[in-house]
Amino acid sequence: MALIEITNLTKIYNTKTVPVYAVQNINMQISKNEFTAIVGPSGSGKTTLLNLIGGLDEFNEGKIVLDGIDISKLKENQLVSFRLKKIGFVFQAYNLIPVFTAKENVEFIMLLQGVSKAEREHRAVELLKDVGLEIKINTHPSQLSGGEQQRVAVARALASRPAFVLADEPTANLDSTSAESLLDLMEELNEKNAMTFIFSTHDPRVMKRARRIITLLDGKIDVNHMKS
Amino acid sequence: MLIALSWKNIWRNKKRSSIVIIALTFGLWGGLLSGAIMMGMGESVVNTAINRDLSHIQMHKPNYQSEKDVREFIANGPEIVIELKKIKNIKSVSGRTLIEGMAASPASTFGVKIIGVNPMDAETTTSISNQLIQGSYKELSKKNRIIIGEKLAKRLNLKLRSKVILSFEGIKESIVYNSCRVVGIFKTESTQFDEMNVFVNQKDLFRILDTEPIIHEIAIRLNSKKNIPEILNILKAKYKNLSIQSWEEIAPEIAFLSTSMENFTYLFVAIILFALIFGITNTMLMSIIDRIHEFGVLIAVGMKRIKIFTMVILETIFLSVTGGLMGMIIAFLTINYLSKVGIDLSIISASMESFGVGTMLYPMLPFSMYVALSIMIVLAANIAAIYPALKAIHIQPAEAIRTY
Ligand SMILES: Nc1ncnc2c1ncn2[C@@H]1O[C@H](COP(=O)(O)OP(=O)(O)O)[C@@H](O)[C@H]1O
Ligand SMILES: [Mg+2]
Repeated sequence: MALIEITNLTKIYNTKTVPVYAVQNINMQISKNEFTAIVGPSGSGKTTLLNLIGGLDEFNEGKIVLDGIDISKLKENQLVSFRLKKIGFVFQAYNLIPVFTAKENVEFIMLLQGVSKAEREHRAVELLKDVGLEIKINTHPSQLSGGEQQRVAVARALASRPAFVLADEPTANLDSTSAESLLDLMEELNEKNAMTFIFSTHDPRVMKRARRIITLLDGKIDVNHMKS
Repeated sequence: MLIALSWKNIWRNKKRSSIVIIALTFGLWGGLLSGAIMMGMGESVVNTAINRDLSHIQMHKPNYQSEKDVREFIANGPEIVIELKKIKNIKSVSGRTLIEGMAASPASTFGVKIIGVNPMDAETTTSISNQLIQGSYKELSKKNRIIIGEKLAKRLNLKLRSKVILSFEGIKESIVYNSCRVVGIFKTESTQFDEMNVFVNQKDLFRILDTEPIIHEIAIRLNSKKNIPEILNILKAKYKNLSIQSWEEIAPEIAFLSTSMENFTYLFVAIILFALIFGITNTMLMSIIDRIHEFGVLIAVGMKRIKIFTMVILETIFLSVTGGLMGMIIAFLTINYLSKVGIDLSIISASMESFGVGTMLYPMLPFSMYVALSIMIVLAANIAAIYPALKAIHIQPAEAIRTY
């Protein structure tokens, strides 16, 4: 069974003038340990699709089954708990709580999960080491570069030991070197820790790092291409 | 960690938070200080009245206060006075012979309450002896002497050493007269009191009424107001057939004034807090609107709405309590200082006098007020937080995170 199963998914934004079909009749499956990019021009529905997979928004038609659970059947609070346990999120920017240090940001997720203080601290330090930020553990986000902030976000996404990580244009605000090195990190985590990554991008250099590329156009799947 | 987060969050926009904190600080400081002044006034009215004539506890024959009849005296009054003096925590006792009568001078006549005292006892029980502006209290021990108030002296055109004719209903004859010489003129905080009351030696009254010593009213002064309930109990058990009342029962209007001052202070502070609630709400609302994206991220990564709600409430409480605490601290320091040095009201005292307030005002605020206020601040913070907190929990994460 696939980790993510999407059938006939449709999301319509009801604007004042015309309804917008942001995601239209999408069918796809994503398995464990994939390293998949959702690509497409601006406005093609990447963010909408990732938000739906992440259980952040409601959809009009279809079904999303994550790790065997039909998320449309979950109540609001159950959905929040589900996100906390199963999904790691990395957003385009401003992922972090500015008043917390890197370590506290990573710890916070575990606090929400009810992890003990000692374990929280230990794991936060380990994760920050994994993303190469051991010397910035007690630094506040404002003192970190864009690339470093995204690494903290990745560490935070992994803190809850999720089933997969969703990253919506994680490199959009980064220079090409930082973008490359973030991709290196994600790739390494994918290969070493078998973490599933689904990320969106419209940057060709980022796209080519993916092992599978799903191309959206006007909310529909245009190409679904798996590299060998 | 949620507490730490909330506390840190309020310092993100230092300027904005400081403005609310300063508003709270000064709002409460002003409210508490005015309250303390009002309560100090109330307390002053009470103490003035207690010192002047009320004392702490009074005893009468049950009918006396409604009838005001000379014949309604306390049986064995002089003996009771002696007994009372032996009770612990009773500082002094003054047996008074009271007669409603007329004071006449060549110029005019005026209805007065003639208070016959034992000068020694009265001196330690009330403060008239200290409030003479002319003459000498000691002379009251001589025969046919009288001490009158300044207002009455003016009305009857009397001076020191003038003669006054007192006339009143006797016990045996219908009307009796006595001619007295003014040996002292007093001026209390109440012009009304000064006009209506005259003090004579009770021995003169006993002689003119041709009676053995009679006492209508026993005024008891205790070591402290705190002893009132305890002594009341003792006396009520001991003198079952006498009416025994605390100053609050004798002068309910003065007790009422004092408690109204306290209630008024609560009301005053509540109104100030109510106004501040809007400021707090507005600040929190701005703070939440500034952080919509961040709330979106928090909700997305799995922070339950109840936790978001709690966080906003905590932030509001921290903000309010910081300001509230500062306001209470500076209010406490100011009131504490003023309660020692006092505020001189002599500039406006002319108008205060008829009100029965001394010229030095000592602001005071009971400790319970600070406790109650702390609770009120937290309550106000909760009220102020509701709308912003609801706003925060209704943030739609997909929308909030969108950077387009
Ligand atoms: N809240 C919204 N209301 C109306 N239309 C929206 C809203 N959000 C997105 N859209 C529209 O949905 C389409 C898909 O947008 P999006 O998912 O953001 O695409 P991408 O992330 O690929 O740029 C676009 O046409 C966009 O204008
Ligand atoms: Mg997008």
